Parts: sequence; structure tokens; C-alpha cells
Amino acid sequence: MKSLTGKTLLAIATLTYLFMWVPTITLIVFSFSNDKLGIRWEGFTLKWYAEIFNNAAVRNALEMSLIIAITTIVVSTLAGTVTAYGLYKYKFRGKEVIRMSLLLPIVMPYIVTAGALLVFFTRVVDIPLGYPSILIAHISFSTPLAVFIVLGRMQRIDWTLEEASMDLGAGRLTTWRRITLPLLMPAVIASAVLIFPWSFSDFTITFFVAGVGNTTLPIYVYSALRWGETAAVNAIGAIFVALPLIGLLLMNFFQKKRVI
Amino acid sequence: MPRGACPERHEILRYAQNDTKRRAGNDKGMFFGSFQTAFRIVGEMPGNLREKIRKYLAKQAHLPSVGPVSIWTILFVIAPLGFILYFSFLTAGDFGQILPIFTLENYQALARPVVAEVFLRTLLFSLATTMICLLLGYPLAYFIVMYGGRWRIHLLLLVILPEWTSYLIRLYAIRMLSGRAGLINSALLSLGLISSPLGILYNPSAVVLTLVYGWLPLMVLPVYASLVGLNPSLLEASADLGATPFRRFFTVTLPLTKGGILAGIILVFIPCIGDWLVPLLMGGTKTFMAGNLVYLHFISAANIPAGSTIGVALTAIVLIIMYLCIKAGGKEATERII
Repeated sequence: MKSLTGKTLLAIATLTYLFMWVPTITLIVFSFSNDKLGIRWEGFTLKWYAEIFNNAAVRNALEMSLIIAITTIVVSTLAGTVTAYGLYKYKFRGKEVIRMSLLLPIVMPYIVTAGALLVFFTRVVDIPLGYPSILIAHISFSTPLAVFIVLGRMQRIDWTLEEASMDLGAGRLTTWRRITLPLLMPAVIASAVLIFPWSFSDFTITFFVAGVGNTTLPIYVYSALRWGETAAVNAIGAIFVALPLIGLLLMNFFQKKRVI
Repeated sequence: MPRGACPERHEILRYAQNDTKRRAGNDKGMFFGSFQTAFRIVGEMPGNLREKIRKYLAKQAHLPSVGPVSIWTILFVIAPLGFILYFSFLTAGDFGQILPIFTLENYQALARPVVAEVFLRTLLFSLATTMICLLLGYPLAYFIVMYGGRWRIHLLLLVILPEWTSYLIRLYAIRMLSGRAGLINSALLSLGLISSPLGILYNPSAVVLTLVYGWLPLMVLPVYASLVGLNPSLLEASADLGATPFRRFFTVTLPLTKGGILAGIILVFIPCIGDWLVPLLMGGTKTFMAGNLVYLHFISAANIPAGSTIGVALTAIVLIIMYLCIKAGGKEATERII
């Protein structure tokens, strides 16, 4: 790293890392500050964390976000795995069309998806705004993610193991349960870990289709942000920053356990 | 007997290979093969028809696995988009209804100076953001690949992790830093460098910088992937042939990572085009982008046809950009998007 190029690169990389991390790290640090506005350092405290856990509105919002995220994870990883299996194993007409249409929810601008879903739910079909609409929206944009992650794994695993298992007398279901699923498990877990932050922290789409009075945690943060910031939001923010880290550690843990 | 000495070994091996091939040919998938067996009941039917139905069902063996999600996608992804396309040609009533009267007025409204200005601004902001992301993200990815060593994965994770944090929270963090009473201002004030708080927020550069902050990871990832996939012997060859590092970068490395760059451009440009939170929270009405118009029409004004038109226009822009990038970058750009 002695060359001029190396030094320049190091400088750019350091600055970029600072740019990416200083805001969230400051947020975490100041979530422990005694200051009411959360922007000055006035001594260490945990009272904001105590406050958010004692605040019924925050608890309800957290509960709603968790219910939605967990339901989305279960439905999307299941549906995604099954769909990926079908896309990988069978040859049929319209396969490319399906793959392309699965890309749609990923590449469409959020605001367009959000608006289109809201109009569809309220003006075309009568789906109540709240849990049903939010769940439909989240499953729609999370399933493709699971499909592509599992599909990526399928292209790398050794399918002759399936044949070997059948040769040794295992039935289709046993083979799927004992061989195929364990082989796909890392991808299934990876998609669950990825879908969690997607669903849990999605704001735009949820905000559009939530309807009146249904507050998820990001929607709660949004209203706090618009109508006067409080230090308690810092604490919620710190939790949001920590969540993906926890997810990552979980994934690491699962992977270590699965090493054959 | 030594392993190689068995004379029948080749015979056995060939048989095994043929068997595997035959199986692979017949295999209609294991999990859903039971679907076909279930329909053997058809066997009770008269011969000709039975064969036809059985053949048809065998061809449809993919349906149980691919069907549900396809139906879901048609219902909740394609249909909503189709309906906003349809609504964009209809007239808005006075009380938020959608009147079934065909009109092109909504599209003509796009050309009105006020709206055209917003679209132009959206394009300009997105373009600026994408360029800055490329200028910061490419060197960063290059640094991780070339100098990362055994820390590569950790350095990459440091890039990915912010992307998994709530976008809203990250915007909040930026606001906390740069607001009028924020940390940057209070630090500068207490150091005596300025006498009154700077207006860092609420201008175009604040919007663009925040957009960069939001979407930079999406540029680094595909570029990183294509740099890792680079064949090092090509670089050695060009060095052996006397190319300077500078020339080597521009004639070998850069063209070979084109796919990653284009994928990064797509990934950054698309969310920028549709962003509405950054202008709302960091910019104020003077920096409103097309996404804010969608919000205003759909939520505040309940003018569904007008909002739909802007949504359709945004989608059209996104599709054109994607088409151009994929055409320029080929298969690699498409693969690196995911």
C-alpha cells in the first residue's frame, strides 16, 4: 500500500466508510445521552430504552412490525423455496416470463408499487387496510428475494446426491426431507435473514397501504420525526441499527452448526 | 485385487453412467412427481382420451410448484400495475372518484412547466447521485478487493450492513447530525468557526448527498463481485506487455468490470428516481421529486388518475434505463442485479 494509488484508495475508502458509519454510530451514542433532544451529550443514561419499553404506543408498533415480519418470513421463504425448486427442475413454456415478472417487485420504484397497491386495495378489490393489506404487500416484495437466493444455491449444489438417495431406496418425500432440504437450508436461512430487515423496516409501501391507525415501528418513527424529534427515537433507531447485526450473527451461528 | 484390475469395471461404470443419464432424462422432479401419480386415476377413462390427459398432465408437472407464486404475482404485482396504467387514461371526479371517461389530459399535464421541472429535477438528482456513488463506490470496491486481504469479507460486511438498517432511521441519523441545532453546527459553533448555524439541510446538495448516503452500498456490491471475478492473469499479461498501471486499469480492468458497473448504476438509479422521503425530510418543497408528486396525488389530493400517470411515467423511465443498461452490459449486468 506504499504506492500513490494505494494511498489515494485508502484515503477514499476511509472517508467513504466514515461517511457511511458516522451518522448511525452517532445515533447509537446519543441514544445513551441524558439530553432531552438527543443531540447533546449530557451524561450516560439508559432511561430512553426504559421509556420506549414502557411506552404502549411503541410496544404496539413493535408488536405489529414483528407479527408482520415473522409471517412474511414464513410465507415468503416457503413459497420462495417451492417456486425456486419448480423453476430449477422443470422445463416449461413461460419460464423466462415468470422469472422476469418476479424481478418486477424488486426493480419497481417503491413509491410506484406503494401507490399501485393502495389504489388496487381501495378502488379495485376490497381488501381492508391493515394487517391483510400490509401482509399482501410484504409477501409480494419478499418472495422474489427468497426465490432468487434459493435458485442461486440450487445452481451450485450436487444433485447427484438426490439420485444416490433414491438409488439407495429412499422415496421422493424422504429424499426431499433428508437430502434436498438440508442442502438448500443455508439459502433458506439466508433468505429469512435478509427478508427480516426488508419487511421489518420497510416504510414507504407499509405507510401507503397501512390505513389509518395501523402503526408499525417505522411509521411510528416517521411521525415522531415529523412532529418533533425526541431522544426516545434515538433508542428505537439504535435497535434498528443493531438488528441486522444480530441477524448476521444468527446466520453465522446456523452456518457453523450446519458444517458437515 | 487392486482397484483397477477388475476387467468388468468399465462395463459396470458405463452401465451406471447410462442409468444416471436415463434417470435424469425421465426425472420430472422428485417432490412434485407425486402430483402425477395422484392423477393416475385418469387410468379408468377410455384409452385415447386417457393418453391425451396423461400427456397433458405430465407436461404441467411444474404447476404445483410454480403456480401459486405465479398467480400471486399476477394478482398482486401485475394487476395493480395494470390498473394504474388503466386509471392513468381516466378522468378524476371532484370527490376523489375515478370517472370512466377516457382522456389524455393526465399525460398532457406531464408537459406543464411545474411538473416537467419536477421530472427534470428528479432525473438530474438521480444522475448526480449515481455518478457520485460510482466515483466513491468503485474505488472502495477496488480497495477492498486489492488490499482487503483476509479482512475482505469484514470490509464488505461494513458496506452491506447499513443497507439492512431502516432507511428512515438512517435519514433520521443524518438529520440529527446536520440540522440547525445538529451536531455539525454545534461543533462548529463551539469551535468558533462560525457565528450562526449553517443551513446544511433544505437545499439540492443536501438531497443528493443524502441519496448517496442511502444507496452507495448498492453500487459497491455488484462492482465488488465483478472485480473479484476478474482473471488476475489478464492483469499480469498486460503488465508483462508493458502497460502502465494507469493504462492497465483503463484498458483491462474497467472494460472487464463493465457488467458490475452497469448493474450498480441500475441498482442506484432506480431507487433514486422513485425516492420521496429524502426530498420530504431533507429538502423541502423546492426540491420535490416525482415521488413526492405521487404521494401528493394519491394521499393528499386523492386524484388517482393524475397520480397513476406519474407512476406510469416513472415506471417507463425505469424500464428504459434498465433496457439501456442491460443492452450495454449484456448478461452479466442482469445477473449482478440480484
